[in-house]
Amino acid sequence: MTEPLFEVRHLTKRFRGLIAVSDVTFRVAPREIVGLIGPNGAGKTTIISLISGTLVPSAGEILFEGRHIERLPAYRRARLGIGRTFQVMKPFPGLSVLENVTVGALFGTGGGERRRERAEEKALEWLEFTGLARRMDQPAEALGGPDRKRLEFAKALAMNPKLLLLDEVMAGLNSVEVDQVVELIKKVREKGVTILVIEHVMKAIRRLSDRLLVLHHGQQIAEGRTDEVLSDPRVVEAYLGKRRQ
Amino acid sequence: MNRYRWLALPIAAAALAVVPWVTSDTIVQYGINALLVATLAQAWNVIGGFSGYPSFGNSVFYGLGTYGTAIAMAQFHWSFGSGLVFGAVLGVACALLFGIPILRLRGPYFAIATLGLAAVMSAITATVEIAGKNIGLILPLFRGDKLFYELSLILLVAATGTVAWIARSRFGAGLVAIREDEDAAQVMGINTTMYKVAALTVAALFSALAGGIHAYWITFIDPASAFDPSLNVRMVIMTLFGGPGTVLGPVLGAFVLSAVSEVLASQATGVASLFYGFVIVIAVLVMPKGLLDLVQGFRETGWRYFVDNLRRYRI
Amino acid sequence: MQLFGQILVNGILLGGLYGLMGLGMGLVWGVLKIVNLAHGALIMLGGYALYYLYTKAGIDPFLGLPLAMLAMFVLGYLLQTALLNLIVRAAQLNTLLLTFGLDVVFVYLAQLLFTADFRTINPPYAGKNVSISGVVVPYAQFGAFLVALVLAGLLFLVLEKTRTGRAIRATAQNLTAARLYGVNPKRIYAITFGAGAALAGAAGGLYGIVSQITPYIGVTLTAKSFVIAILGGLDKPLGVIGGGLILGIAEAMAALYLDPTYTDIISFGLLVVVLIARPAQLLGRA
Repeated sequence: MTEPLFEVRHLTKRFRGLIAVSDVTFRVAPREIVGLIGPNGAGKTTIISLISGTLVPSAGEILFEGRHIERLPAYRRARLGIGRTFQVMKPFPGLSVLENVTVGALFGTGGGERRRERAEEKALEWLEFTGLARRMDQPAEALGGPDRKRLEFAKALAMNPKLLLLDEVMAGLNSVEVDQVVELIKKVREKGVTILVIEHVMKAIRRLSDRLLVLHHGQQIAEGRTDEVLSDPRVVEAYLGKRRQ
Repeated sequence: MNRYRWLALPIAAAALAVVPWVTSDTIVQYGINALLVATLAQAWNVIGGFSGYPSFGNSVFYGLGTYGTAIAMAQFHWSFGSGLVFGAVLGVACALLFGIPILRLRGPYFAIATLGLAAVMSAITATVEIAGKNIGLILPLFRGDKLFYELSLILLVAATGTVAWIARSRFGAGLVAIREDEDAAQVMGINTTMYKVAALTVAALFSALAGGIHAYWITFIDPASAFDPSLNVRMVIMTLFGGPGTVLGPVLGAFVLSAVSEVLASQATGVASLFYGFVIVIAVLVMPKGLLDLVQGFRETGWRYFVDNLRRYRI
Repeated sequence: MQLFGQILVNGILLGGLYGLMGLGMGLVWGVLKIVNLAHGALIMLGGYALYYLYTKAGIDPFLGLPLAMLAMFVLGYLLQTALLNLIVRAAQLNTLLLTFGLDVVFVYLAQLLFTADFRTINPPYAGKNVSISGVVVPYAQFGAFLVALVLAGLLFLVLEKTRTGRAIRATAQNLTAARLYGVNPKRIYAITFGAGAALAGAAGGLYGIVSQITPYIGVTLTAKSFVIAILGGLDKPLGVIGGGLILGIAEAMAALYLDPTYTDIISFGLLVVVLIARPAQLLGRA
């Protein structure tokens, strides 16, 4: 692999006796889309939280563009160019859709825009990109499920991230909506963003991911090209249980 | 339309400035109190309204400003200006020193920590020699209510102007993001600790200056009045009544509530308190987002405003 | 050494009563997420209730306590149903303000109805005491201490063993889930607040026996109840009693070894230190 954009080495997270993530190691090249899959409770969101800085690792290293970031606070990592969405969506409830995304534009990579007007212009561009422009003045609270996902997405994109961490953005979407989001993600990659996607929707993962990483009970059980990993018997077993003879 | 709205503020300020020359002394004195408490409300607005960290201890900064100015003038014999600066420095230093550990706490824990801080400060001032212990301090006398009025007005205008700037700035957007969802704010690149401490410092600065002006005006101070705990709740109530997180809400709330309080106090003792209490209870039930929001909301949706609120907030 | 023992005992006896004060506040806070600024006023009203039961109806204070508690329960139940339930899902600041308003109203009404005179509940055995190896244990304080422990134990049992208690704990942890299990949140909230008021009332009544009541005792007692509830972990009755004991002993020690004027600094200093030093544990309960 060429110089990886970011790397995780022996990453481990313990919560008072429960090991959520254990000895995970992988690399992601620039402009790759890597899928992170595994059964519920496998530790996928924990890994994203460890990378974004919401959680501190118990052991292991995280390198971004060659720099160690495991000790950096979340906001510094955001400024370096790491953006994430939350599985349990966290819009700023009292603010409008436009204001929500503007925050992303004001504080993202490199410290974001300094002037509010510029940030709003950028925010508007991202709202159009994600199809939310007509809702820009509505309170974020008033949005329904799929639109909330789009908002999460737009907020993260407005930060101009180099690395985008997506946490189950397809959950609860119907087939048509899933296709739309897949297209959106591909367009984002074309803009030069590297993406790590947690997803349960297999169709989406298959179409998006260059490579896959599979977690089970916090451990890495497979890693490699999408089609190879998906036919790996250990992966199948993890998802479906042992086949009855 | 917007351009005219900008004119309204300077006109209002000018109108207020003229007041001492066209009314009686009592009104001027009431005015000074109202202006200072409005400043306190506005200061609280920065840390409580915009940042969402409800401090019940801003009286500490006010008290430090009071005592700083008093000590500087009574013990060191400095001028008023230097005294004010000294008081402000004390207030700001306290915000920086205690801000960092206390701002790590969320919600009611933060509120109570600030309460505790206020109580401790009050107790300490009652025992320290240089502060005159329990007896208090006497400042040099200066007659000139009109001057104090104008000074208080300038302070309020400065505070409101600062809040107006905050409301439209990147800093303000950061504070609001912290209020709405602090974890998300961090992940989006906001250095939440620094922002919170900055907000608290701004609040401390204006509170301390208000305290300093008040000290010189009434000439005599003691721990009970300087660190008066009821101030805390009054400034919170006034801001919440008028509209937290807005530019004019605290001013509106402060003026309305002090007027009501004054009118009632002259009618019968104690009844003012009773009415105050009822006003607060009704206000919280009927306008949980403040007066300004009520006016706007009513204009938009009429009586449904109340129904919507009820439906959203009740169990 | 004798003096130390005496002070220690004083502190413990006072601490039991403090614990009782903290119980009501912690319960309401932990379950309803309401920080009740009128808690001290409820303590005060309970004190007056018991006072009048004793002086007008001649009922012995320790026997009249359940009656006073019942009256306070009804008051609390009504307050929650008519007022607090209307805004309980809004930002916490709103309930803070509402209870503050109630506090102001209660204090004024008390001033109007009961006047500002100091009142004490003085049953004939109030002055008597028993001496154990040189340490004086007054009957009244000891009785108050026992009652506090008994009520804490009862609260603990109710929360752990009864259906209502489990419903209360379920609501505290997850309102939505509790609803799905058939819990009626309005009722549970009202019962919890009523219980908090009843406990406050009991504390007030006991306070009236061992000390004096005026309409203004509420403010400091609310603040102390905060400290105690936090030290004890909010809705854990046994922990809160422990918190009360810590504060009681700390205050007694401070009064002895330092100036009595330092007691306030001690109480609040302790609070600030605890909050700063153990945020992780507390944040989990936010």
